[in-house]
Amino acid sequence: MDNITQGAVVAIIGVCTVFTVLAILWGVLELMRIVFSPKGKKAEPAKKAPAPAPAPVAAPAPAAEDDSELIAVLTAAIAASLNQSTYNLKIKSYRRVDSAPIWNRTARLDNLNS
Amino acid sequence: MSELFINGITSFIQSTGLAKLFAATSETPLAFAGVDFGSIVMLIVACVLIYLAIGKQFEPLLLLPISFGMLLANLPFSNLMHNVLFVGHGEPDFVMNFDEIFHHGGLLDLLYLGVKLGIYPSLIFIGIGAMTDFSPLIANPKSLLLGAAAQLGVFVAFFGALFLGFDLAEAMSIGIIGGADGPTAILVTKTLAPKLLPAIAIAAYSYMALIPIIQPPIMKLLTTKKERMIKMDNLRPVSRLERLLFPIIVTVVVGLIVPDAVPLVGCLMLGNLFKESGVAERLSKTVQNELMNIVTIFLGVTVGATASADTFLQPQTLYIIVLGLVAFSISTAGGLLFGKLMCFLTKGKVNPLIGSAGVSAVPMAARVAQSVGQKENPTNFLLMHAMGPNVAGVIGSAVAAGVFLAMAKALGIL
Repeated sequence: MDNITQGAVVAIIGVCTVFTVLAILWGVLELMRIVFSPKGKKAEPAKKAPAPAPAPVAAPAPAAEDDSELIAVLTAAIAASLNQSTYNLKIKSYRRVDSAPIWNRTARLDNLNS
Repeated sequence: MSELFINGITSFIQSTGLAKLFAATSETPLAFAGVDFGSIVMLIVACVLIYLAIGKQFEPLLLLPISFGMLLANLPFSNLMHNVLFVGHGEPDFVMNFDEIFHHGGLLDLLYLGVKLGIYPSLIFIGIGAMTDFSPLIANPKSLLLGAAAQLGVFVAFFGALFLGFDLAEAMSIGIIGGADGPTAILVTKTLAPKLLPAIAIAAYSYMALIPIIQPPIMKLLTTKKERMIKMDNLRPVSRLERLLFPIIVTVVVGLIVPDAVPLVGCLMLGNLFKESGVAERLSKTVQNELMNIVTIFLGVTVGATASADTFLQPQTLYIIVLGLVAFSISTAGGLLFGKLMCFLTKGKVNPLIGSAGVSAVPMAARVAQSVGQKENPTNFLLMHAMGPNVAGVIGSAVAAGVFLAMAKALGIL
């Protein structure tokens, strides 16, 4: 029975410590956010997306569709190819580049496959 | 001449493993009618685990070395591993004799020193740190509380183990399975209950592989459809300065409160700083790939090699496996229930599903939250939100481990 009482003490102290430590970290992180977060310059420099294909010409996306999923995919793809965090990127527009001449397309495929 | 020949053959036959298997003495554990069933069963268990690793792909990067280590160590006369050198014959005041280990230890004995001295788990944590992106946590620091709540299973399983008759040190090691973090479990167990190391490591890694099966039913049971459909606001962008300060702040805060957690948390944050600093790319790549892989091989093989018939083929191994499952399930429930509380307090801005990701196991648990959420609402993307509690869980289980180690010292078990 002695083990069980000791165990109860350990468990209670354990749960409390874990919560306290992580709660303190929470507080410190909130503090850090207030001090250092880029508040004024919301969505910081927002580099224009140099899309993998020569595509950054603005073309109005079909307004009715919900394209957030596509944007997410594009952002991730660009981030991966530039080796950057997605936080530094903002997709302003995208355009499908189907109309490219056959040689451009071949070259692009070549690049993708290499 | 012919006598010499016969003598030669006899002594060769006696030195083979087969002779040992079928001429077991009464000292061999689980021997029956001269046959060493213990080693035979262990070899079969090793083969089953190899099958699970290759055929079912249960954490193959770890289970494969673990199971093969088990195979190596249980071949009679292979002399690769001598558990006795590390745990003794059960003397209460056993002290490791390094001289003995260096002079008479086999290959795996020498590699096992890295586990015994707590080197491998910390080195692996450097690699994990370099692979982890803490931005979702920095953007939403409330997730830290979910990471804490999901350690509930650790303490419940600890209590359960006490009721089943394990002593305090063993119960702590079993409880930490609920932290769903292999290196942490190994670090605690090698210190507190080295005899249980193989069973606990295998339970921890197997359940981590089974997370996509264990978690969803609990998640559906504890949340309503409406809650699961909640969409969360986009995370705010995190500046580079914040990402640089984060590892330093966490190390200092955790280190000052729970010094015993520093070998884990400190190494985790060191790796993360390598990555975030952007000026130590070579180091960051090395710890993520080469170092991590090398250490994983050593860790896996030697942890597997500690599984010998006399310690592994015991009813307590079954208890550990059951308690591990209990620990995982209750940790999941703890995270979910705290997620519900946060959902209620924020008036429905938090999807409780992300709480279940608080059981470290990065990134499987977060992926499970994502897929369960997406089943209810295909346009819901919880992955990044779930990564917050997920990486908080790593910190949480390291802190829980530190608390256990500190309490063990305070109670005089260590």
